Amino acid sequence: MDLENEIQTALYDVIDPELGINIVDLGLVYGISLDEENNALIAMTLTTPGCPMHDSITKGVEHRLKSIEGLGVIKVNLVWEPAWTPENMSEKAMQILWGN
Amino acid sequence: MISNPSPKSATNIKLPISFIVYALFAFSCSQIILFMNSSDMLIGQFRLPDIWMGAHFLLLGFAVMVAMGAMYQLVPVAFLTPIWNERFGFIQFGITALGVGFFSTLLSFKPSVAIYGGMLAVIGVVMFIIQMVITILSQQKKSLMTITVLVAIISLFLTIVAGLLLAWNIAYGGIINHTSILYSHIALGIAGWFTLLIFGFSYKLVPMFSLSHGFSMKWAKPMVITYITGLIMLLLSFWIQVTFLPTIGWFLLCLGFTFFVLDVKEIIKKRMKKKLDKPFIFSLFAIGNGLVIHFIALVGSLYHIKSSIFWGWLIFLYIFSWVIFSILGYLYKIVPFLWWTHKYADRIGKEKVPTLKEMIHEKASINILTLFIIGIVGLVLFVILQVGIGVFVFQGILAVASILYAISIIRVLFI
Repeated sequence: MDLENEIQTALYDVIDPELGINIVDLGLVYGISLDEENNALIAMTLTTPGCPMHDSITKGVEHRLKSIEGLGVIKVNLVWEPAWTPENMSEKAMQILWGN
Repeated sequence: MISNPSPKSATNIKLPISFIVYALFAFSCSQIILFMNSSDMLIGQFRLPDIWMGAHFLLLGFAVMVAMGAMYQLVPVAFLTPIWNERFGFIQFGITALGVGFFSTLLSFKPSVAIYGGMLAVIGVVMFIIQMVITILSQQKKSLMTITVLVAIISLFLTIVAGLLLAWNIAYGGIINHTSILYSHIALGIAGWFTLLIFGFSYKLVPMFSLSHGFSMKWAKPMVITYITGLIMLLLSFWIQVTFLPTIGWFLLCLGFTFFVLDVKEIIKKRMKKKLDKPFIFSLFAIGNGLVIHFIALVGSLYHIKSSIFWGWLIFLYIFSWVIFSILGYLYKIVPFLWWTHKYADRIGKEKVPTLKEMIHEKASINILTLFIIGIVGLVLFVILQVGIGVFVFQGILAVASILYAISIIRVLFI
């Protein structure tokens, strides 16, 4: 598995504690980029600006990615535009929110 | 993509938790005191020293202290602005806690010196107002929510000024407009401070807890204008004898509340989370209660009902079924969040951490909140029927519910 896929897989472990759904299925991750030295930049958003889980989720991403071997500096760039919309969510996330 | 620098959004957890734990203790005390004085409640006598003590433990000790604690947590995250001075906040907690405790107790045991406890409480509240005004004014992008919360804070200031005048008059006399000041104190406290504060934060919390998107908030501006104008009209009616002024005031308050309900209805309609958490539903239920009570007040005003028993119980219901119920529901969300941030925020991504929902015992919360509804309905019913034993039993249920509630919230802190 290449490093980018490994990051993507690892991010499934970071759960939004309010919704109980991981941040990838919620569509919060906008992009993963790696430079030549394997430093990672994660562009992500939250479901709403001023979300109380703000610090926790971004720190959670950093914590989880630190366990990946071979990864350099990890930076999480929290962005508000484009704003998150429910269309960003996966089928699975929709199912959890509507199906329970 | 537009990125946002990460603000320091988390307040030192000890600050809001101190307020909330104190408030839960005061809440249980208030209900036990009211239970012990249920015979006075039966005859609609609210203006008695023991009832004052219970009422002030409920309003100052519980509702105001919870509101302060919640604001220490919510203002940084909702306004994206850190608290101005946390150390000042801890000093403010100590002074307010002592002041509220002394003041509420002295109202029963020695009303003539209650003013000294009151002054300490006032200093604490003024310190809180200074803290919040400086914090909120440093917000970069002001919103309608900012204005609503600022007006609520101004109302809190005027409430304590009026309260201090009342305590002064009890101690030294000399102020002839005692009744007008008392009515202003109540209206500013419950409609100006609590209602506007709940309105302001609900615009943030309701979409967050229901994961709602694409709602318009089109009634927010009319709501703010109408509700504040209604409050001013109602306040004027206590000081100027104009026949229809109270009715105009209540009409505008009722209309403002209706606008708020319309917005909440749209937010809930456009939610992504189908199954809402039960305590949150309880807070939404409280909104319905608030609307009904505003409507009853409007009808009472329209028909010039002067009965102190009618207005006394309506104020009781306003406080309990709208303000207190809202707080009770929201606390089941706020406290787990606080504790989760403190205990698990650094573990997320490293190990499996509980969700917020897993931190509360939802079934127990449903039972406790149901007990509150049963307690209030029974209490009002037996007061109307004038059955003493019924009032005693249902106020007893409220006292038990308040103790169970406090335990269920404190329990979260041991997870």
